[in-house]
Amino acid sequence: MYKKISNLGFVIGIFFIIISLILLIGTLVSSLPATRLNLYTGFVFLAFGTLMAFFSKGDSNEKTD
Amino acid sequence: MNLHAMDYLIISTYFLFVIGVGFIIKNKIRSSNDFLSSKRNIPLWITSLAFISANLGAQEVIGMVASGAKYGIMTVHFYWMGAIFAMVFLGIFMMPFYYGSKARSVPEYLKLRFDEKTRGLNAITFAVMTVFSSGISLYALAKLLEAILKWDFDVSIWLAASIVMLYTFLGGLTSAVYNEVLQFFLIVFGLSPLMIVALHDAGGWSNIRTLLQPEMTHAWKYMGHADSNPMGINFMSLIFGLGFVMSFGYWCTDFLVVQRAMMAKNMNAAQRTPIIAAIPKMLMPLIVVLPGLIAITLMQPALASKGFSIPSDGKGGLDYTMTLPSLISHYYPTGLLGIGITALIASFMSGMAGNVTAFNSVFTYDIYQSYFVKNRSDRYYLIVGKMVTIFGILFSIITAYIAKGFNNINDFLQLVFSFVNGPLFATFLLGMFWKRTTGHGAFWGLLAGTLAAALTHGLTLAEGKGGWIYPLYEIHSGMGQAFIVAAMSWIANFCTTIVVSLFTKPKHADELKGLVYSLTVKPNYHQDKWYRRVILPGLILIIITIILNMIFF
Repeated sequence: MYKKISNLGFVIGIFFIIISLILLIGTLVSSLPATRLNLYTGFVFLAFGTLMAFFSKGDSNEKTD
Repeated sequence: MNLHAMDYLIISTYFLFVIGVGFIIKNKIRSSNDFLSSKRNIPLWITSLAFISANLGAQEVIGMVASGAKYGIMTVHFYWMGAIFAMVFLGIFMMPFYYGSKARSVPEYLKLRFDEKTRGLNAITFAVMTVFSSGISLYALAKLLEAILKWDFDVSIWLAASIVMLYTFLGGLTSAVYNEVLQFFLIVFGLSPLMIVALHDAGGWSNIRTLLQPEMTHAWKYMGHADSNPMGINFMSLIFGLGFVMSFGYWCTDFLVVQRAMMAKNMNAAQRTPIIAAIPKMLMPLIVVLPGLIAITLMQPALASKGFSIPSDGKGGLDYTMTLPSLISHYYPTGLLGIGITALIASFMSGMAGNVTAFNSVFTYDIYQSYFVKNRSDRYYLIVGKMVTIFGILFSIITAYIAKGFNNINDFLQLVFSFVNGPLFATFLLGMFWKRTTGHGAFWGLLAGTLAAALTHGLTLAEGKGGWIYPLYEIHSGMGQAFIVAAMSWIANFCTTIVVSLFTKPKHADELKGLVYSLTVKPNYHQDKWYRRVILPGLILIIITIILNMIFF
């Protein structure tokens, strides 16, 4: 688990997933008028976050000098 | 601009994550090298994005949107003329010396190549500049939050400074770099929707070209004479002043950005770092220059119904620095507004953290360890590095308050910065490619270049600035003056270094192996696939840059 958490791609992915959920849920449940811009952005953030968190290769195996 | 609970939740989440990154990295910090130089263990994609993020601070994001509104598409010269070529040059020609010499900093390279006094001069000026730049970033952030969100100035300063201090203190350079990458994505994804909706509202690029004066939408066509373009400079000043001296001086010698490439795992990755970073850099005008152009288009009479305006500066003109906050306020609803504000905060914090970590390394390695306390244990220097982080942040806070009391301190510091940075590239160019260059030549060349910059500024007048010796020559714009000051300082440094070097004794060839082009074994990547090489991708980028300049000619 620590290895996963210390993978920057995973951290960035989780960040964008959380932000997208705040945006999507907040827009849908709030009394403020829901705007399509929030929803579109939320879905793009969710897709990007998922890709980064679960499909990024993490630290590559570049050789060190 | 009113924020709601959702916006505050987004801002708080961002703060929690950047501090969380510091705590995650903390467990990896065991030595001073881990803390101050990341032990050359960072993957290529991170070094590349950190390389560009270190230059994605407040001046970049807010300043370039402001320039886009003020000068039009000519602002892209800061990218397509003032960055890409220098970044490719750094990757192909200069990284082998920085990385191959095993120097931990740019001043340390100067010591290896020249001597202790050249290193000392560069280290001290760089350390002072970075801590002041960091303070100016902090001041600008607090001013912005005060202006658009009515947040208290003091609270903003201490809150932002505490967060940056916490994650840089915990994880050092690695933590700052990891956060820079997070901030990069946040800035790009946070500001992209703005560009899309505002561009749609303005009627697309074709409508922008129809509504604006032609000199605002052509990058080169009106540069034949200084009077015929909004920037007030001709193409020769631009190419030599910005495209050569300032651009190469910054991208190839400023430790703040070079440090990101020096953290790479191997020579190939170090060389490819600035080249890969050049790809997003090339596209950056889409989110920082285009919104400025869109903003000024939206203020044309034909689009008055859109109801957008840039606030007045109180002197009859427009307050261009408020262009981006005004666009965010106009187009972003609750939720996305929180993301837009977080992106702005991220850009300020990114700029500040970059300066503080560079200051850390240079102060600890090149000043403290070299001149004050030598030969102590690694743990001792780790503790010193951590203490320097705290002092760096405290100095930044003091600088931020000094800036609050003096209206023109930012202009003054930017000017001094250009005095110091402008001539530096001549020192490196001669040092790396002419083995006859001596330490005395480099030192006196640097001093002569700085003096020439001061003299040129004192004898020229632009927009009421300069001319403090005698206003001998008037220049149309402050930006044009900056280019000419940089050009003169470079020429003075270049000539002085050559003359003094010819009269002083050079180092023996054996001492210069790995430090001078003709005495260094060049890395060979012929066995690798084309995209893992350095020269071919660099050439492709240069060709694309030339094509972009032709499209928007």
